[in-house]
Amino acid sequence: MSKGVIYKPIRDLSELVRTCKVSPVELAKTFLNRLENLGPKYNAVVTVTRERALGHAQRAEEEITKGLYRGPLHGIPFGVKDLLATSDDIPTTWGAAPFKDQSFGYDATVIRRLEESGGVLVAKLSMIELAGGMGYRQPHASFTGPPRNPWNPERWTGGSSSGSGASVAGGFVPYAIGSETWGSILSPANNCGVAGLRPTYGRVSRFGAMALSWTLDKLGSLCLTADDCGLVLEAIAGPDPNDPTTTERPYRYDTRPIGRPFKLGLIKDALEGMEEDVKQNFEEALKVLEKVASIEEVEFPDLPYNEITRVILSAEAAAAFDEFVEEGKAAELTAPEDHFGPYARTVVLAKDYLRALRLRTHMARAAEEVMYPYDAIVAPTNRRVASPIDMEFRRNSTSTYRDITGAVGNGAGLPSISIPNGFNDESLPTGIQFIGRAYDENLIIAVARTYQSMTDWHRRHPPELTP
Amino acid sequence: MCANLTGNCTKGERELLFEVVRSKYGDRLTSDELEEVKKGVDRIFEAVEKLRAVKLENWDEPFSIFRPYRKDE
Repeated sequence: MSKGVIYKPIRDLSELVRTCKVSPVELAKTFLNRLENLGPKYNAVVTVTRERALGHAQRAEEEITKGLYRGPLHGIPFGVKDLLATSDDIPTTWGAAPFKDQSFGYDATVIRRLEESGGVLVAKLSMIELAGGMGYRQPHASFTGPPRNPWNPERWTGGSSSGSGASVAGGFVPYAIGSETWGSILSPANNCGVAGLRPTYGRVSRFGAMALSWTLDKLGSLCLTADDCGLVLEAIAGPDPNDPTTTERPYRYDTRPIGRPFKLGLIKDALEGMEEDVKQNFEEALKVLEKVASIEEVEFPDLPYNEITRVILSAEAAAAFDEFVEEGKAAELTAPEDHFGPYARTVVLAKDYLRALRLRTHMARAAEEVMYPYDAIVAPTNRRVASPIDMEFRRNSTSTYRDITGAVGNGAGLPSISIPNGFNDESLPTGIQFIGRAYDENLIIAVARTYQSMTDWHRRHPPELTP
Repeated sequence: MCANLTGNCTKGERELLFEVVRSKYGDRLTSDELEEVKKGVDRIFEAVEKLRAVKLENWDEPFSIFRPYRKDE
């Protein structure tokens, strides 16, 4: 069965399931076996939820056979980053040794919604400990081992949704849920060569998710295609009384063409500091996009974007893990730098945190002014390809590199989608991202989907893992 | 208000705050780790100085808006 279903997008898999050409039980078994047999090689998996998966797959099979088809996620396996609470005594470890036996008696809203859509949870996936919130600098920062990249196990997956990226790229799950506070969905999407959608802040309930930074945390998906990200978002978006930050705005995934060329903004000096291959692939991607879009250079007004978002993140993470740090538990974390990382931020002053929140108002308005005329801002996802597994990726901590797309995108709560746009000469993927105005997920997915209809980067998979 | 961005205008403040960290947590950190924490405090204050350098008006509100809570609404 593997040959027919591994690396098939949800859109194709669901058609096979709907027409009873593929059994949800057999589908679940195929991915469970890959998770169990291949997942450990990449340190991608924390817990395989075999029993729960087979129960849900059996139910899906019975429903579909009876004609009770719930939609495109019905009978489709999925994995989640291990910071989402699960019932059934399944551990929720937050990727961290001190929490390796933690469990909750309820399911995160996202998991509940996916299962109500007929989805089959097959695994809790590895992540950087505490979502990278303690200041890790290198990939050995998870109690399940350094997450290895399916394109080359000696390279890193990116983080902190590492197992989610690796598992989609490795064909261990058709799609996975990740979270992003600053870069944690887009970075693994970039490094692993898959699609990653960071929705607008408040679009998806965070109930049951580990909190790192209450005003920055978002949940989203990693998938094989941009189209799949839309299908998943429709299932998980929407208001939730358990998460007061969720928006009442409804979300329906809309695949209808917009009927005009796209309008894209390109940040002035966006390619400064990029690796040559990243730059070259981005420029090639722009040539493709020029066939369907106008592209104009844009400039963000001068504001300390990185600093605004960094101070908010530092202060909120210090508060979220106050008890943990006070009790000295950081010393039990895997990465040596996480033992001392959380202490500096304990002295961010309240007035400086509030200043950052006040400046965030200016940042959000500035971003909206710049982005209003455009369907999306286009930029390279990361400035470099996946780094070696033993290399400190924040080696130069005083780097002057300013991640404006990350700082503004996350600080202002804007959606972004990353998709692969090529490889370097070591067969490591590069990514391109489309950042949208708040709640414009359909537009950025449309741009990404259109790009994928003109290219085949998303159809390339690690040869060693392809059946 | 800090008038320049040389990294020196919060020097006294950051030294004091590092002392707070050292007095609270110094017994659980090695000297190398404390040195890293000091660098961490410096980095945070480099960011803070840039925030303090932007002029804000009295009515510039934080983005997060507090809403009074009622269970039935």
